[in-house]
Amino acid sequence: MATVTLKQAEKTYPNGYKAIHGIDLAIQDGEFTVLVGPSGCGKSTLLRMIAGLESISDGEISIDDKVVNKVAPADRDIAMVFQNYALYPHMNNYDNMAYGLRNRGYSKADIDSKVREAARILQLEDHLERKPRQLSGGQRQRVAMGRAIVRQPKVFLFDEPLSNLDAKLRVDMRLEIKNLQQRLGVTSVYVTHDQVEAMTLADRLIVMNGGVAEQIGTPIDIYEKPATKFVAGFIGSPAMNFLAGKISGDCKHVTIGEGVRLDLDHDVSADQTVTVGIRPEHLSIAADGQGQINAAVRMVESLGAETLVYLDFGTDANNVTLRLQGTQQFVKGEKLSLTIPADKIHLFDVETGKRI
Amino acid sequence: MKRVQFEHSAVPYLFVAPQILIISIFFLWPAAQAVYQSFLLEDAFGMSSQFVWFRNFEDVLSSSSWTRSAVFTVVFSVLVAVISITLSLFLAVRADEVIRGAKSYRTMLMWGYAIAPPVAGLLGNMMFNPLMGDLYKAFNSFGFEFNHIQNANDATFVVILIAVWKQVSVNFIFFLSGLQGIPKSVQEAATLDCKSAERRFWTITFPLLAPTTFFLLVINLTYAFFETFGIIDVSTKGSPGGATATLVYKVYVDGFIGADLGGSSAQSVLLMIMVSVLTVFQFRFIERKVHY
Amino acid sequence: MYQSKWRIFTNHTILILGSLFMIMPVWIAFASSTHTREFIFQNGLQFWPGGHMIENYGAILFDPSATKGRVTALEMLFNSMVLGLGFAIGKVIISMMAAYAIVYFRFKLAVPLFWVIFSTLLLPLEVRIVPSYEVVANLGLLNSYTGLILPLIASATGTFFFRQFYRSVPDELLEAARLDGAGPIRFFIDILVPLSVTMIAAIFIIMFVVGWNQYLWPLLMTTDDQLYTIVIGIKQVYNSLYEGGQIPQFPKAFALTVMATIPPVLVVVIFQRMFIKGLVETEK
Repeated sequence: MATVTLKQAEKTYPNGYKAIHGIDLAIQDGEFTVLVGPSGCGKSTLLRMIAGLESISDGEISIDDKVVNKVAPADRDIAMVFQNYALYPHMNNYDNMAYGLRNRGYSKADIDSKVREAARILQLEDHLERKPRQLSGGQRQRVAMGRAIVRQPKVFLFDEPLSNLDAKLRVDMRLEIKNLQQRLGVTSVYVTHDQVEAMTLADRLIVMNGGVAEQIGTPIDIYEKPATKFVAGFIGSPAMNFLAGKISGDCKHVTIGEGVRLDLDHDVSADQTVTVGIRPEHLSIAADGQGQINAAVRMVESLGAETLVYLDFGTDANNVTLRLQGTQQFVKGEKLSLTIPADKIHLFDVETGKRI
Repeated sequence: MKRVQFEHSAVPYLFVAPQILIISIFFLWPAAQAVYQSFLLEDAFGMSSQFVWFRNFEDVLSSSSWTRSAVFTVVFSVLVAVISITLSLFLAVRADEVIRGAKSYRTMLMWGYAIAPPVAGLLGNMMFNPLMGDLYKAFNSFGFEFNHIQNANDATFVVILIAVWKQVSVNFIFFLSGLQGIPKSVQEAATLDCKSAERRFWTITFPLLAPTTFFLLVINLTYAFFETFGIIDVSTKGSPGGATATLVYKVYVDGFIGADLGGSSAQSVLLMIMVSVLTVFQFRFIERKVHY
Repeated sequence: MYQSKWRIFTNHTILILGSLFMIMPVWIAFASSTHTREFIFQNGLQFWPGGHMIENYGAILFDPSATKGRVTALEMLFNSMVLGLGFAIGKVIISMMAAYAIVYFRFKLAVPLFWVIFSTLLLPLEVRIVPSYEVVANLGLLNSYTGLILPLIASATGTFFFRQFYRSVPDELLEAARLDGAGPIRFFIDILVPLSVTMIAAIFIIMFVVGWNQYLWPLLMTTDDQLYTIVIGIKQVYNSLYEGGQIPQFPKAFALTVMATIPPVLVVVIFQRMFIKGLVETEK
């Protein structure tokens, strides 16, 4: 049970490359925090800084109000699950889980009960005598989790633990991890590039880009009120539609395409050019043909439960994606009239990408 | 290097110490000694020595026997490398293709790695023994007037043959694993695209083996330079008249049998320089071109 | 893949010829070693074995006079074994340790020390043979196993094998071990050494063969017969073949040659897979 606090944490590599630009973060006791972002955004580096596997160039990291900048990884009382599991291939699964406890001088009986308990929780009891290579991917994943659990650490760190599994197993393990974390109530930090994992697992989500935390908040907050254009485009699938627009003189409208005026639900300073964002699921077809914008169907993808329609909008054929429930038929070139609710329109500054 | 490393003050030094100690005593010291002695001239009884700057080097470089040995070494090394590489590549390609008996062929072609160079030299000596050697008799019965004891070319042929025989196995092992490392799908794609097996070999297989071939070229040249000492010492002993003495063999003959320490050291230093240059050249220029 | 009948036929023909090329000299040496010296002297080399195998090999193994010296082939085999094993063990231990320091640690002298070790690859013992002899003589190590083995270990081949291997070990293992509370020495003993077992075995085999086959250095080092290895013994026997005006003792010389060849060949053939793996994977 612990809190993790980062104060202006920075990482600069000896070659001068700055991987993390001053991040502030306060993780509550028992909270499941997910770091998400594209590859190279620094999310793994940040996790490894918390683990102590990477040194901190500037700022502070504390666990339970104790600054751990100079504390060795083994003494931080954290456990980590690696992307490739990093199981010791020459040890059987029992020893893999017991190794950390042995190094900490636990008694034999103590180790045995802890390992067996973890094995019971993870349904690994029948596999303890086997070596990691004799197990399936999902089982190996479990052993890696077991190695973390037996230690009863203050913090769990997960570095893309599911990315080596196939799609079906990934969903199962995702649920299992969430379940386990809630049961054990251990503070957890989880790194992933998969936004579905991020949205489903997180109590709190941190969207990272270029070594900066673009937004920190609950998944729903981030989905509904993305702080930047990057976050808006990264979270949500299919990605948000972006169109160039201009705010009207009366501050209440935005113009897109060839003079299409959209109502806004709040006032914005007049006459600036902006990026207009609309999520595909928030567009709908106007039954009477009286929608705000008209666009031609370019391609249709039917997924069964939903239909994705790719449209060309305006003279310069901007891409607009439309997401509809159920199965629907369209002809290529067919003109659709779409409605855009004023409260679902996101506006972003063209220069800074910040939400307006 | 590793992304993560230990930062520890004493442990790395502790671990590297035995190796550094042995290298210092048995490598750095002798190497320095060689450089030092190459500038000295000892009198005939080894009682006194005199610092003579580069005279030993001048003597060595201007002596016809050294130049001859240098030329022989280069010709010998290139021929040994090229012939044994070609021969083993040829065998490896066939061994890679066969299905029945593949393991037996592999064993029969690779065990030669375990043969000591002097043993190879001795077997060659035996086969070419004028009294009873089968090959000696065979060559002469074809009317070649083969005589490696007096004829320099014939002697060169004998040493090259033995050196190649000894080296085929090593090259074979590397080529065979190189071939087996080429994905089956690539081979199959090539069979669809190109009908001629020979063309396929030159356009697909051989280019993919280029890194292996280059690596083997280096290994073979090093082998021919240094490890053939045992072969030469047991087969021709550099005869006739030093015609089959490599530079390494000459260092030994002049240093130990001739007791010319200064001259022998100068030869050592020259060899060191040659090998270093070769290695640097190898790393800087050639390796880049053939590695994918 | 499809192969024509003709291709299959030529493949086998070529491979059989290749195999014969490799095996024939050793076979002839073996066959000729089982005849009497008079028979070989009169009839030349033999393709078929004769009836004097036990007699010739027995004499070589147990009778010092058969090897023209004061030692029997059995003693020579023992010396070769000491050299092969000592060289292999020393090499493996020393290079594992050095490679560990180089790959897994950040320390001040890492770069210069790396280059010192690397430089030994450039200059094999053969090049600096005369001064090496003097150094060993100065240390009073002539005619000793130590003097025989240590200078041979002073090269970095093994270190580079292990360096390559360590670099292929996933970084996460070290990280996981650090989180599990393992320090540098514990990581080395608990994780890295057990992980390297196949690698150690492969390098051990290669080094044993290399050690067994050493020639030039033992030749200079050992003036005392008692330390002759079997490879050196061969040369001594051959040098004295024509001495004393007797009929040359070819069969026994051949017997010695065959005996020098059998142990390393057996090792290589029996541990073939491991040996090839070690050889090919490390030298990449």
